[in-house]
Order: sequence, then C-alpha cells, then structure tokens
Amino acid sequence: MRALTANRLTDGEVVFWKAGAWVERFADAELFEDAEAGEAAEASAKTQQTVIVEPYLIDLIESESLWAPLSYRERLRALGPTNHLHHGKQAEGGAAIEALQHASGAARSSGRVNLIKRK
Amino acid sequence: MPTRIKLQDGEYRLVEDPFTTIGDDAGLPPGDVIISLTRFQTEGDQLLSEGRKVGVRLEPAEEVEALVYDLPRIALVAVVFPKYRDGRSYTAARLLRERYGFEREIRAVGEVLREQAGFMARVGIDAFSPADGSTPEDWARATHRQRHVYQRAADRRTPAFAERE
Amino acid sequence: MYRYDTLDKEFLADRAAEFREQVGRRLAGEITEDQFKMIRLMNGLYLQLHAYMLRIAVPYGALNPTQMRALAQIGRKYDKGYGHFTTRTNLQFHWIKLADAPDILDALAAVDMHAIQTSGNCIRNTTADPFAGATAEEIDDPRVWSEAIRQWSSLHPEFSFLPRKFKVAITGSAKDRTAAKVHDIGLMMRRGRDGAFGFEVIVGGGLGRTPYVGPTINEFLPANRLFSYLEAVLRVYNRHGRRDNIYKARIKILVAALGAEEFARQVKEEWEKIGPAGDLPDTEIARIRGAFVPMDFDTLVNRSEAFEAAKAADPALARFARNNLREHKRPGYTIVEISLKAIGETPGDATSDQMDVVADLAERYGHGDIRVTHEQNLVLPHVKLDDLAAVHAGLKAVGLATPNVNLISDIIACPGLDYCALANARAIPIAQDIARTFADQDRAELIGELKIKISGCINACGHHHVGHIGILGVDKKGEEFYQLTLGGSGAEDAAVGSMLGPALPAGRVAGAIDTMVDVYLRERQDGERFLDTFRRTGVTPFKEAVYADAN
Repeated sequence: MRALTANRLTDGEVVFWKAGAWVERFADAELFEDAEAGEAAEASAKTQQTVIVEPYLIDLIESESLWAPLSYRERLRALGPTNHLHHGKQAEGGAAIEALQHASGAARSSGRVNLIKRK
Repeated sequence: MPTRIKLQDGEYRLVEDPFTTIGDDAGLPPGDVIISLTRFQTEGDQLLSEGRKVGVRLEPAEEVEALVYDLPRIALVAVVFPKYRDGRSYTAARLLRERYGFEREIRAVGEVLREQAGFMARVGIDAFSPADGSTPEDWARATHRQRHVYQRAADRRTPAFAERE
Repeated sequence: MYRYDTLDKEFLADRAAEFREQVGRRLAGEITEDQFKMIRLMNGLYLQLHAYMLRIAVPYGALNPTQMRALAQIGRKYDKGYGHFTTRTNLQFHWIKLADAPDILDALAAVDMHAIQTSGNCIRNTTADPFAGATAEEIDDPRVWSEAIRQWSSLHPEFSFLPRKFKVAITGSAKDRTAAKVHDIGLMMRRGRDGAFGFEVIVGGGLGRTPYVGPTINEFLPANRLFSYLEAVLRVYNRHGRRDNIYKARIKILVAALGAEEFARQVKEEWEKIGPAGDLPDTEIARIRGAFVPMDFDTLVNRSEAFEAAKAADPALARFARNNLREHKRPGYTIVEISLKAIGETPGDATSDQMDVVADLAERYGHGDIRVTHEQNLVLPHVKLDDLAAVHAGLKAVGLATPNVNLISDIIACPGLDYCALANARAIPIAQDIARTFADQDRAELIGELKIKISGCINACGHHHVGHIGILGVDKKGEEFYQLTLGGSGAEDAAVGSMLGPALPAGRVAGAIDTMVDVYLRERQDGERFLDTFRRTGVTPFKEAVYADAN
C-alpha cells in the first residue's frame, strides 16, 4: 500500500494526496493499492507546480489496524518533531496519531533521494 | 539575425549578433564566428587572415592565461556557464578585464539567468545570452538592484568603503 | 558594536526587496521550483521536513538587545515562539511560511540583520571568538576583521558560486574558541616580532565526510594584507576546486590533493599578482575599528563583596559561578556564559521569552552586548561581579541558569532528523538522553570538561569529529544507529576523533557514555580532562568496556 506526499508551496506544510487535492492529515490520505494508480497520481501532482513541491510516493505498513508510513522519516513527517511533541501534526492526538507513533517499520524512505537533493 | 543583450554606455539593449557560434567539427560559414579555444589555436591565424572577426569560447576548465597572447586579435570572449552554479567564468572574466586589460566584448553563454546579472556585470561581462527569456529591462533592473557594492571589481563601481570617504 | 550606516542599511533593504519580488514570481508560477531553489537558498530559506527553515546570520555571533528582541518577536509572530542557535552562531527558525519570508527579511533589515549567504556555495557567516573585547588574552579584536569580511564577502562578484560552501573563523589570540582549524580558512591572531599583528592562516580544515585539521599555509600574514590574501586563496579555490563531486568539492580536498606546500605556493603566486590593490584601505579598517572601541568600564577592585556574600548564601549561584563564568580583562567584571542546554531540553533552543530576558539583562547589566557561541550557548561578555546575583536570578527565572558550561551535559547537537531533510538519524533525543543520564550536577562537575558533539548525518553540523566524544547518526536499513568517536577537539589542540567500534542503537548510546565515563574516572591521573586521559590511554580501555557485553 502506498500514499502520495509533498510539501505545500506556500507554507511548507506536509500534505498528502486525496483525489487530486491535498490534505494535511496522513489519516485522510488516499491509499493506493495498485502501483499504476499511485504513479498516475504522482504524475498529475508533478504538474501542480504552484501548489506543492516535489511529490513522491511512500510505502505503508499496518499499525494497530491502521496504515502508517513504513519509513521512520516519513512517520516523522506525518507526526512532527519528537523533541517538541506539541508541535506539528501530532499535537492533535487521537487514535490515528497514536497508531503512527506506535508503528515500527523500518526502511529507507522512498523519498530520500529527492529529499537529499532538496535542501 | 539572432540577438543578445548588450551593455552599451550603461544601457542594456537587445542588439543583433553578427557572430555565428561554430562547433569543433562543424564546417565554417562565411562571416564572423565564435570558435573554441582549441580550434582557435589551430585555425585562428587562417580565419583572421581571411578578414573575419573571431571570438573565442572559453570553457570553465580552460585557463584564461592561454588566451593572453592573442587578446589583441580576438573580437570577443564568450565565457561559458555550463550550470548557473559553476562560477569559474566569473574569475576568467574578471582577470580578462582587470589583469589583462581586455576591453572588447565578454559574453556570458550557457545557463545564464537574471539572478546572476549583478555578479556578471560586476566582473566585466557586457553581453548576455540569457537562458530564462529575460529581457534587457530585466537585466537593467537586476544589475541596478543594489545601490551599493562592497568590493572593487571590474565594473569600476565605487565600493562602499570609497563612498564613505 | 558596529552600527550599520546608510549604505549598509540600503544594501539590506535592496536585497530584501529583490527577494520579495522573487517570492512573488514563484508563487505566481513564473519561475519553477528548480530556479527558485537557488534564489531562496541564497537568502537562507530551506525546505525541511515539516516546513521552511530560515537561517538568519548572526555575524561573528554578536547581537545587541534590539536585535535579540526582534528575533524573539519574529519567533512569536512567524514561528512557534522559539528559535534555534546553531554551531555557525546563526539562528534558525524551523516553522516558517514561504509567504511570510519577505516580511521577516524586512523585520530583520529594520534591525540591521539578514539571511544573506547563510546557504549556498558562497562565503558563509564568519565565526569569531565569542569573548572578543572581553578577554585579556586578546591580541586584537577579531570583530574588526570579521565585520570587514562580512562586508567584503557580501554578494561578492567573483566568489558567490564557489565549488562548495566556504567558512571562515577568526580568533583573537592563540586560544581558540571558534574551531578555526576545522574551517575552510582559520585565521588565528598573532603578534609579529615588531609588535604589529597579523594572522596565522590555516586553510583546508573541515569536517563532513572527510575530516581534516587544516595545515598552516602562512605563519604570519600582516593584518593589513588580509583581503588580498583571502582573494588569492578564494581565486585558487574557485578555479581549481573540484566541481564534479559534491563530496570532494570543499577546499580541504584541493589542499590535500595539491599538498599544503604547493597550495601555499599557488596562493602566494596569485597574491603577488593581486598586490595591495586587493586590500581594504587602512581608513576603512580604522572606521570599522572605531565601532569596537573599548567600553567605558568602571574602575573596580577584583573582589566583589556583594558577589561573595550572595555566593555564600546561595549554593546555586556558587555553582553557576564555578561553571559559567570566565575571566574578564577588567577587574570586577566577568564574562557570563548562558547555557542553552537545560537538562532534557533541545540544545541551542531559546524561547522568545528567554531571548527577551537575555536582551533585558544585557541592556541593564551587560553593556548591551550579547554573543552566540559555536557551542550553541549565549554569552554576556561584560557583567560586573556586583551585578551577578541579579543576572543569575534573571536567568534562573526563565530556565537559563543551567550551571553546566563545558560539562558533559553541555552537548552540541544539530537539529537532526527531527527537522532536517538531510539527516539520517535524530540528534536531539540522544542529547536529551545523555543530559538526563548526567543530570546530577555534582557528578557532572566531578567529571569536568567533556565535550559531546552529535550530528545526525555525515555533513557534521554537530561537529562530531571534534567532540571529546563524538556521535554520528547513521541509517542502518532504515533504523537509527550511532557511531561513537573519541579524542576529537575543536580547540587550539584540534584533532579528529577515532572510531570506538560498531555503531550502537539509539537506546544504548547514553549507557555507553556512562560506561566510558566510569573508565575515565578510573584511569584519570592528576585531575586531567577526559580528552587527556584518552590521549594517554588510547581507545582500548573504552572500547573494551563499551563492547564487553557484546563479546
């Protein structure tokens, strides 16, 4: 399972693709079961130059019967910094946030290459 | 005829470009040409004797010193910016102007963007073939953006320390 | 302090206006992200994991109270009420909106501040001795030269697109509080035989993937020839530094490839061609020097009865005085170091309220002078001993009186994977773990000077190579692991640390350090520092103890 993520141009907020638009909560993200649908969304996202920056697909795993990003980096993006738990998306709390916090997958982020170039 | 932006008497204008840039393996059309340093070193004498004007294209890895002897015969030097972030040609241009007294055209070619305009004008580059579609008005604005500069450079602008005196 | 004149102010205003226009073009879709990236980076604006990050230059680490309050206000208005002081003595805001960035640059320009050249392959902010103008060791005030470099390097026509970033550090004496020997250029102030001053010039030090302690290429450069010499070094680098591989593009690689001697020869040859025409006029140096005239200190005796009485009455003040004060050049004054390393907090973070309090204290008791250190602390360089109890109380009220400067809990850490798009692993939580392990101040003082430095990736913003104990976060198949090095130093006895052994998982790092501290306390002779014990014993006893249970 995969989701499509990016940062919003105007404020840098981490956003997720949902049916051609962008949402701030990972829990609201559209999930792609088949590769082609995800890639089509990614291609479409890349044309949204004035809305978001550098979209890419991320792999997901199951956590507490919800989905969570597989890589640690992506979970941090979906939550916020671990040194200020009241900053970022995690401040909202709730079961969806806790599922992300408890997820334990480990893999290099699929967005890593782009991120390193991004600065 | 193709054009380039030229700095003349303090104004940026779009002017016709009589020079044709020729690759190393290409045949030579009639008229004024810009050729590589390598080609200039083998064919420069011949071309000049035909009465044409010859410009030399200087790649960033090429030493500007290799041109010094021939500068009086060269109509222009085209300094190459293969990527905007490759800044070697700023040094080449500055040395051509300040150290070797070259007064004819120095042209910036390659990835030439208006964001570099201020730097390029300051090292003495006076002709531009922008890659971003920018206009002479854009270049005039960009190069006059900073009312003050902190360094001496090839454009002879008065640096801040001299303005303060 | 240096006051910006009309020219300096107009320079910043012009630059801020240009950026406002460029942001407008980006938001309108007139330029692509690729083109805009160069522009925003030249103005210190990065896109990180959660938001944009704006890195604001604090030239040579010096701030006045007005500037500190402006930073506090920006933190409140545009961030989450805090900022992060970095190892480059800059300040980063981690939650910035692109659309707000032009307004922030205007707010900065209003107090003579900017974000120019805090990123990109250009000459970055110069670091200088944070005790400049306050320490008796000083031969000449490095701020004079740092300010001149700030101006000379700003939008430099020739050196703004170097092979890679370029960092300069300047000391005021043989004592190094700037990590000069691991900079692209380190300038260490020296007095010549005739009494004139100059610089020992060290080129090609650096951290990152290939750490080097830089070689000296000029034992004594007369100070008035500094700018032609810098031009020569930068020109040789700009022409010949590698551009084919980002990891081999720093000047250290060029210096190492040519050899220090050959590099020095090429610089000298170029320097002779440039000649004194490349130097700043003495009148300009004199003008800048005029801004750093010695302050009007009161004539006092060395002992303050008020301070002695307060110390006797308040053990917390006594402890603070033991650890956070440094000797001032004038009797009756002291240099106060403010630790931004409260136990369990984020190293280098300061809230807007804390910044305001530091500004108030500097104004009331500190000649309006504040410094940032590359070890992510603040300094009030000129405080009367008589006022120390009041300063301590003011700091304590906002959690800034942590008495741990140079101790084991005074840890440098980069933002790491909690914020940074380049990081492989988190750095801050490791620092928090270690600080909590050594929260007992008596034990920390017993251990003495021990510098722990943590980076979340090989780029080494946390200076891990020069930590007495260095910690580098690495990514092992998507999990955070940490490589430990021992024996590094960023001071005048600069050294790159040696690897302890295989990387450890996050949960084992603080314990490993505790184990090594026990080894040190067992092996220590005559009150020597951890670093000196390590230099005597080598890595073996530490390695054996840390990996004992793995064997």
